[in-house]
Amino acid sequence: MSSYIVTTDHLTKRYGERAVVEDLNLRVPEGCVYGFLGPNGSGKSTTMKMLLSLIRPSSGQVRVLGEPMTRATRRRLLGRIGSLIESPPGYGHLTGAENIGLVRRMLDLEQRQIDLAVRTVRMQDQMDKKVREYSLGMKQRLGIAMALARQPKLLILDEPTNGLDPAGIEEIRRLLRHLADGGVTVMVSSHLLGEIDKTATTLGILAGGRLLFQGTRAELFAAATPDVLIGTADPQRAQALLSGQHDARIDEGLLRLCGLSPDATAQVVSHLVRAGLGIYEVRRQEQSLEDVFMDLTGGGGL
Amino acid sequence: MSVALIRAEIAKMRRLRTGIIVLVMVVGVTALAVLSALSSPDFSDPGTRSWAALLAGMSLAVPLTSPLLLAVLASRQVDIEHHGNGWLLFQTSGATRGGLCRAKLAVLGAVVCAVTAAEAGLVLLAGIALAVPGPPPLALWWGYAGAVAVVNLVLLGLHILISARVENQLAGLGIGVLGTLLAVFATGLPPLLAHLTPWGYYALATAAGYRDGELVTFVPGYASIAALAVLGGVLFAVFTTRFDRREAS
Ligand SMILES: Nc1ncnc2c1ncn2[C@@H]1O[C@H](COP(=O)(O)OP(=O)(O)O)[C@@H](O)[C@H]1O
Ligand SMILES: [Mg+2]
Repeated sequence: MSSYIVTTDHLTKRYGERAVVEDLNLRVPEGCVYGFLGPNGSGKSTTMKMLLSLIRPSSGQVRVLGEPMTRATRRRLLGRIGSLIESPPGYGHLTGAENIGLVRRMLDLEQRQIDLAVRTVRMQDQMDKKVREYSLGMKQRLGIAMALARQPKLLILDEPTNGLDPAGIEEIRRLLRHLADGGVTVMVSSHLLGEIDKTATTLGILAGGRLLFQGTRAELFAAATPDVLIGTADPQRAQALLSGQHDARIDEGLLRLCGLSPDATAQVVSHLVRAGLGIYEVRRQEQSLEDVFMDLTGGGGL
Repeated sequence: MSVALIRAEIAKMRRLRTGIIVLVMVVGVTALAVLSALSSPDFSDPGTRSWAALLAGMSLAVPLTSPLLLAVLASRQVDIEHHGNGWLLFQTSGATRGGLCRAKLAVLGAVVCAVTAAEAGLVLLAGIALAVPGPPPLALWWGYAGAVAVVNLVLLGLHILISARVENQLAGLGIGVLGTLLAVFATGLPPLLAHLTPWGYYALATAAGYRDGELVTFVPGYASIAALAVLGGVLFAVFTTRFDRREAS
């Protein structure tokens, strides 16, 4: 059928009057690492919970693994989806081995599958320790092992790098790449672009419950118009001349204009030249993915 | 309810010190019951020792010890889900919140029934050891134990629901303390008032006590206890089904 492992159509979740997730049309290609990005409170966890049918959508549909995800199909589908939502699970009074043993019992898995999952997250030497004594990184890895033990087709990880140190983050990144190479589709959320941008092959950017962008990294760059920087003898005067028409800022002695089309750029330049201002340079600023993300999400303040 | 869920609950009990709570319950009730009988004037003379005194002792010891310990038992088994993010872990394996609560009641319920039987059995053995004359009133004895088991199970179910619903476990324990007071005072209340709270049913189950200064045996209020069992069972089913529909938070 389709090559999408997860699709949502007009997915919406309201709490009272407030829409927390609105009209979401996700397309997660099979075999990709899908980076689900958005500031805190943008609705990432809520969306992921709806994908897993842990909460009910107010409207809209979810299709996972080619089937509608509903209360009726949930149980069967969940057997093929590994997930880690919000904080990692784990009973503190039990050892790592006892914890993952609970998952084995519940899903009727074989010890071989458990061992494989534990080795994948490199936790084999920590399994006899109580989870209470684990570091956050170890808890995250145990949580991922519990999700992996069922050998899922789809892995949904909600901020797995949250609170980890750089080494821990790198470890998770490596793990995600390794899993994707092994054919698992990974959907991973983060509020920090830097934590997943190098790993994700497809990005979905969420802000205020709405999907602002979905596509590859190259498409994201193409979608965003880089700022125009103008070097001039008198930036203050140039700013005054343009006021009312363009939102120009002075940035390190240069005039910075954002969202300017090529035509508009030509107009601005000729306007300044006609006013007798010397123009030294006009260029577009190379944007980092971080800038694009910040522009799209309004600096994370949404 | 799935066998896998029940086995999971048993596995979770490891290192929860459920055994210690159980021991405290059994030893507490047995010791209090026997001491209370021994301190009654009838018991000083071996010739006038009576089974009724032991039953009366138990009817005092059970409401004094059980409500709080049942609250502790339930709280320990449920609190781990709040702390370990267990509700979500099990939901993503296809189990529901209500299903977890039902499995907890099944497992802890079996423990509580064994505890109740052990209490009644040990007090009976104490009576034999103390050479109480005459055959023990076995039908009344086990009838009383059965009635207590029902009240224990209903309170256990109530506390599982409270601990699951209210994350702060002090709430459940506070209700356990309040329940102890209600259970103890219900003994002195008219039976009509004892029917109003589940703790009052310990008083309705009472098998022996003093009436007009005379130690006598009573027939426990089996009909009331049966009604409590039905009502408790229905309410537990209703509330856990509502938990099933409740969304993950
Ligand atoms: N059960 C709920 N009731 C009301 N509001 C909620 C509930 N769950 C989440 N929200 C709100 O929905 C918004 C999105 O939350 P969430 O999905 O957790 O965001 P994210 O995971 O992106 O940080 C937040 O503003 C949060 O307060
Ligand atoms: Mg979140």
